[in-house]
Amino acid sequence: MSRRRTIALFRRVAQEIRRDRPSIALLFIAPIVITGLVTFILREGQTPQVDAVIVNMAATPGSVYTSALTTALEAEGATVTTAPDVVTAESMVADHTATVVIVLPAGLGQRGAPTITVITNGMDPSGEGSQVAAASKALVSVASSITGITPPTIVHETVYGTPSSDPITNFAPALVAFFAYFFVYILTGVSFLRERTGGTLERLMATPVTRGEIVGGYTLGFGVFAMIQVALIMTWVLGTIRVPSIGPIPEFSVGLGISVAGNPLLAYVVVILAAMGAVSLGIFLSTFARTELQVIQFIPIVIVPQFLLSGVLFPVATLPELLQPLSFVMPLSYAVDGLRQVFIRGADLSVTALQVDLLVLTGFAILFAVVASRTIRRDVA
Amino acid sequence: MPTDAMSPGGGAPAIRAVGLAKRFGLIRAVDDVTFDLVSGRIYGLLGPNGSGKTTLIRLLAGLTHATAGHAEVLGATMPSRTTLERIGYMTQSDGVYPALSVEENARFFASMYGVSADGAVEESLALVELADRRRSLTGTLSGGQRRRLSLACAVIHRPPVLFLDEPTVGVDPLLRVQFWSYFRSLADGGATIVVSSHVMDEADRCDELLFVRAGKIIARGSSRELRDRAGTTDLEQAFLRFAGDAEAAR
Repeated sequence: MSRRRTIALFRRVAQEIRRDRPSIALLFIAPIVITGLVTFILREGQTPQVDAVIVNMAATPGSVYTSALTTALEAEGATVTTAPDVVTAESMVADHTATVVIVLPAGLGQRGAPTITVITNGMDPSGEGSQVAAASKALVSVASSITGITPPTIVHETVYGTPSSDPITNFAPALVAFFAYFFVYILTGVSFLRERTGGTLERLMATPVTRGEIVGGYTLGFGVFAMIQVALIMTWVLGTIRVPSIGPIPEFSVGLGISVAGNPLLAYVVVILAAMGAVSLGIFLSTFARTELQVIQFIPIVIVPQFLLSGVLFPVATLPELLQPLSFVMPLSYAVDGLRQVFIRGADLSVTALQVDLLVLTGFAILFAVVASRTIRRDVA
Repeated sequence: MPTDAMSPGGGAPAIRAVGLAKRFGLIRAVDDVTFDLVSGRIYGLLGPNGSGKTTLIRLLAGLTHATAGHAEVLGATMPSRTTLERIGYMTQSDGVYPALSVEENARFFASMYGVSADGAVEESLALVELADRRRSLTGTLSGGQRRRLSLACAVIHRPPVLFLDEPTVGVDPLLRVQFWSYFRSLADGGATIVVSSHVMDEADRCDELLFVRAGKIIARGSSRELRDRAGTTDLEQAFLRFAGDAEAAR
């Protein structure tokens, strides 16, 4: 393997990326905008307004419940009205003048546990969960005030880190890993496809260059930009820079200020290893594409399953049993877990789980590099 | 029938094809081709589009594996990575990087061939008259200028064997004359040059022609020899006569 040729390839790839402004924007600006947007949505998302309608079918005992329920719901910021029957209440939900119906049954106050029905619109299952939760919380409060039994206070503690009410804490490591992987894959795939279709790979293969030198040069070229990208994302995700007020602009802070329990450099190593694998994956998949659009078309096949099965959105343990083994063969799973180990658990190199993540990511990077180099053949150039 | 040509000194031929064949499924792109090409001469592969010229050049340059037979260049059986250092290859497409400057492209290919960049780059760019555009991005060059750069990159390591696949396509007449004059100077210096073309009027510039049709060499000789053998004054008519004979002999 010639160091001179590998460095020449690296320099050429770097020069091309440097002059490709849309690619630079994709690498450096897109992850910051997207992580910023996700954080803003999760942190500042609005709690849905609860507009409850109570249908009392239990006459006098129900009146006591209605009154207590109204007080409990209004204390949580809900509006409360009543309706004479279920049909009327449902029509109110249908025309959006109410969001939830609480039906107090005829047998309320008699022996045995009553069944209280909560009715929602049904068009927005995730949003309606908060309506049902608000109704349940108010009903528990009513039950405790009527029976005189104070419900227990629940205290949440964690084995690793400290419990955080910041919803982005768990997502941040996964997002950092995903964006580094995703954008590096797209850029390498498209770049190498141009090499194949533009006739330059044909010409390159007519020189004494080896496959290893090509993969090495590309990995170095994209690796350098991936390192800058990851450094930038990490600074953005972990940092908090306060900008003092200037004239009419009030003081504000730049950076998501997410806390990291471990060494950020270790997190950096995890992401770089994942990005190295993405370079070779891009080279490999460009073999099967004829146009740049086709490289994009691989995203639903190669990237989206990793996004769904690698613990970015759903914990691997909650996946159906049939799908769980798939997460073990996806590099992103190890990148996401590795980053969570460092961010949340504060793991260092003595932690076995992190060692496994780093080893597997290194293995994937080497495996993909070998597979990618096999696709660069003189007779398919 | 193709005839074998030995080098003037009786040494080994610079390029040799022995029963060379390449199939793509049922298509015989190159069909049992045998010839020897000696150094210091320009050989023209002439034939219509799709006749197998590019596949033949790719086989000789070691860019694709033969289905049968083999190719030798400078005594080495192709593909041979070490021999590639001594081969220049100009592809049909420009095969240069549009995002790099003229000089960066030349330097890059010089590095790939392992030659010291400064002198070689300087000389090659001067040769194709692009020295004054060295800092221009290749993507901003005209088609003819990109073709010139492509040639500069193919000869930057001064190879003794040069494969040129349709080098003058899209090149204006004046530049075409310059290209051929340069090819002649290389051949005079001992290089073996194989040029593919479907333009018959370029044939007279070659020392020897190989008519290619349906993957076969249907005739070989100088332009005059081929016309005389075909009994025509026109090379295109000669090609058609040989093609007809080849068809009849099947």
